[in-house]
Amino acid sequence: MDSSDVIIIGAGMIGANCALRLIQSGLSVTVIDRGAISGGTTSAGEGNILVSDKDPGPELSLALRSREAWFELADEVGGEFELEKKGGLIVAKSEQGISDLKVQSARQSQSGVIVHQLDHAELHEIEPHLSNEIPYGVYYPQDSQLNPMLGVAQILKKFRELGGKVVTEAKVLSISTDAMSVTGVVTSKGEFSSRNIVNATGTWAGEIAEMAGSHLPIAPRRGFILVTAPTPSVVRHKVYDADYVANVASGSADLQTSAVIEGTRSGTILIGSSRERVGYSTTFDVRILRKLSEQALALFPALRKVQIMRAYFGFRPYAPDHLPVIGEDARVKGLWHATGHEGAGIGLAPATAEIIAAQITGKDCLMDVSPFSPARFAHDL
Amino acid sequence: MIIVVGGGPAGMAAALSAAQANSKVMVVEAGPRLGGQYWRHSSVEHLDQDGAKLVSAVMSHPNIEFLFNARIWRADYRDGESTLHVLIFGKSRELTTKKLILATGAFDRTLPFPGWDIPGVMTPGAAQSLLKGSGIVAGKRIVIAGTGPFLLPVSVGLAKAGAQIAGLYEANSRNRWFPHALTVMRNAPKLRLALSFQRELKRYQLRFRGGYAVVEALKGDEGLLEAVRVAKVDKEFGIMANSEFVIKCDVLAVGWGFTADLSLAGNLGVEFKKDSDGSISVVVDQFQETSLTGVFAAGELTGIGGAELAQVEGEIAGLTAAGNVNRPKRLHRLKKRKATFARALSAAYPVGNKWMEWLRESTIICRCEEVSLSEVEKSISNLGATDARSAKLLTRAGMGLCQGRICGRSFADIVESRTGNVANDESSIKFAARPIASPITFEELAGS
Ligand SMILES: Cc1cc2nc3c(=O)[nH]c(=O)nc-3n(C[C@H](O)[C@H](O)[C@H](O)COP(=O)(O)OP(=O)(O)OC[C@H]3O[C@@H](n4cnc5c(N)ncnc54)[C@H](O)[C@@H]3O)c2cc1C
Ligand SMILES: Cc1cc2nc3c(=O)[nH]c(=O)nc-3n(C[C@H](O)[C@H](O)[C@H](O)COP(=O)(O)OP(=O)(O)OC[C@H]3O[C@@H](n4cnc5c(N)ncnc54)[C@H](O)[C@@H]3O)c2cc1C
Repeated sequence: MDSSDVIIIGAGMIGANCALRLIQSGLSVTVIDRGAISGGTTSAGEGNILVSDKDPGPELSLALRSREAWFELADEVGGEFELEKKGGLIVAKSEQGISDLKVQSARQSQSGVIVHQLDHAELHEIEPHLSNEIPYGVYYPQDSQLNPMLGVAQILKKFRELGGKVVTEAKVLSISTDAMSVTGVVTSKGEFSSRNIVNATGTWAGEIAEMAGSHLPIAPRRGFILVTAPTPSVVRHKVYDADYVANVASGSADLQTSAVIEGTRSGTILIGSSRERVGYSTTFDVRILRKLSEQALALFPALRKVQIMRAYFGFRPYAPDHLPVIGEDARVKGLWHATGHEGAGIGLAPATAEIIAAQITGKDCLMDVSPFSPARFAHDL
Repeated sequence: MIIVVGGGPAGMAAALSAAQANSKVMVVEAGPRLGGQYWRHSSVEHLDQDGAKLVSAVMSHPNIEFLFNARIWRADYRDGESTLHVLIFGKSRELTTKKLILATGAFDRTLPFPGWDIPGVMTPGAAQSLLKGSGIVAGKRIVIAGTGPFLLPVSVGLAKAGAQIAGLYEANSRNRWFPHALTVMRNAPKLRLALSFQRELKRYQLRFRGGYAVVEALKGDEGLLEAVRVAKVDKEFGIMANSEFVIKCDVLAVGWGFTADLSLAGNLGVEFKKDSDGSISVVVDQFQETSLTGVFAAGELTGIGGAELAQVEGEIAGLTAAGNVNRPKRLHRLKKRKATFARALSAAYPVGNKWMEWLRESTIICRCEEVSLSEVEKSISNLGATDARSAKLLTRAGMGLCQGRICGRSFADIVESRTGNVANDESSIKFAARPIASPITFEELAGS
């Protein structure tokens, strides 16, 4: 039987990063996915690496470390994945919005986020097509962007060069355990044995936990993105409304939208995103698209005649408390969860992988990881 | 009210039969007038007799209303009701109905080959639309190539309008017809049509050559098409040794049959099937009803079958949607006969897999995003793509303005040939899905 030190289930952004870190730690690693690489949520989102949308706390610390790690990774991996220091711009119009944004950015600044407050003139100098009616904004130079599909492909390419194995089209059907310790997986392409399994299956992570006799409350939160036809540069940064931050933090199941606008290297502009809890539903209401386009126009009136050629959607993997789940399962030994990153899994992937690699190899983590522990759901069992 | 989407042969026949069965009908058509691909025209005088008769019957029926220049960009189905989002006068409007007939037709199937992105290379459909719709002859010296019965009428039409036809190349050899001769004979009108084309070919001194294909388009100094390279090809479309020659021309019209326009059907979520030749179409029952109650489909989107079959299917769909229980047996017999003919026809004009051998490393596969063959191959060998979707995500092929309508199928074929990973029906069908059926501006979307 095929045997390795670690099996990673899931070849998305989280799985790919864990794979590279673990093989660099000297372990033999096999990545298994039921489909092709980066076929899950990773291919259905945007590629933002954000610090601007996070409140001071454990997630912001993870994000700050992860952003650094992305640039280190780009040097290590070598191959191109369109990593760019794009810079984020949060804008506000109402008095309330402006004062909230001022408070928020001041607090972020104390936690190590670089912020620049911009008045009307400065704002329109760095983002000339922004609506003239918007008086105030905060610029976050650390916010960055990459192409997630290329990112996964380049990282896994490096991983394979280091001797790692990637098995695609192999669905994990069951997890083998012995005295509450994992011993391997049974897949549609045969059995693989290992004493360590990393559960990097995103929104489907609950199913894997279930297979091992444990439990993980991960559910999907759907998001839509509009894609324009290639357009001469109207949008220079990643621009969004202060409301977005409130939406991200909200626990509501109802539809929420607030436009997050960014150009990509291919010339298209991406307009994200909505948040709603509708399971894995693929039917949708055009109201979602309409609201996004109205909000986009409120920020950039110059988009009026630009064509939307495509829309797509994906499912963010979220935990009830909206924090990632990183660490060993509370019941099953050797089962390591790396999921629940919701709308930030691209940005948070390298730091997540560092934590997983440190924990599996028994090393100290550089930060306090207890807020991410799967044990916080142990009482659900 | 019954809503019919598409004013081609299928849509017109559907609207008319439903109206005659006392139902109220609304026809929604993206173009400025009825006729579809087949009866594309600038005014009724330019139509043949059948076309003129059908168009005026539909136009004058008191039970039928029309929305022209109205493009449906998205459709949804919930609880037995279809909602259509129609772009009209710069605004998106909603229409809802419990009886929907889809007759959205097909577009030309293209294959990539070296030089196909040079100005002057077009599809026969485009050449024909220019001619029928605007009276424009696409070029002075035209080469027509590809496969399928449609090449003949296009050549004759262009010759009649004064173009010089520099060559007419059908990639399948004519011998292919023999196994299906019987079917053709049972379709007397088709046979007559075929014979009349033979006469016209003679009259305009058009030399039809079977078993030849245009394998490269060549650019002149000004960047425009100057000539094409033609080769004799075998059954699989492999180039035969020492058979190549060059022909000068300013337009190449090349097409490989048709691909059904499934965008709206896909939005609604009707069941699709993948045929043995790899093409995808809508599944319907004998009454043209799809897997969704109250949603009917007729014409090319149920499988490529030509204008006559499209009309018969339309008539059946219209009657069923109108709730007419006394559907005449005649229609079903007619449909069966025409469908048999259509199958025989498509069997006579298959697309061999070795067109892929005509490609070079630098040949562009996706024109919108300018993705070359070598980039597609690298996404597989270098970046680990294992199927059409992952190769698309890594190269952006099919993610441009046409949303893969032009290159999607060829791209998937190329990826399959390189990975050996043959897509199952479900993933081929998924690959063809598009949540937005046609582009819409922010203003149009927001302002509705
Ligand atoms: C609209 C939208 C916008 C987003 N924008 C951003 C953004 O700008 N920045 C950001 O950082 N994040 C963003 N995200 C979130 C981000 O995409 C996700 O957090 C991230 O992709 C999760 O990666 P993952 O590897 O955990 O999951 P996935 O990419 O879903 O990978 C899980 C993999 O597990 C495999 N799998 C599942 N079950 C099995 C099984 N039984 N056997 C084998 N394999 C299995 C799946 O096939 C899949 O490939 C966005 C998400 C959405 C939906
Ligand atoms: C160039 C060309 C030449 C042909 N020559 C022959 C021939 O000689 N003999 C023969 O038998 N067959 C021929 N055919 C095939 C013939 O045209 C088709 O079989 C026939 O037109 C099919 O009818 P239909 O109603 O299914 O589709 P179409 O005629 O294609 O009609 C579909 C209509 O739907 C409309 N539509 C599509 N999507 C939308 C939307 N989202 N919103 C609103 N409206 C929409 C389109 O504008 C179009 O008018 C030819 C086809 C082409 C392209």
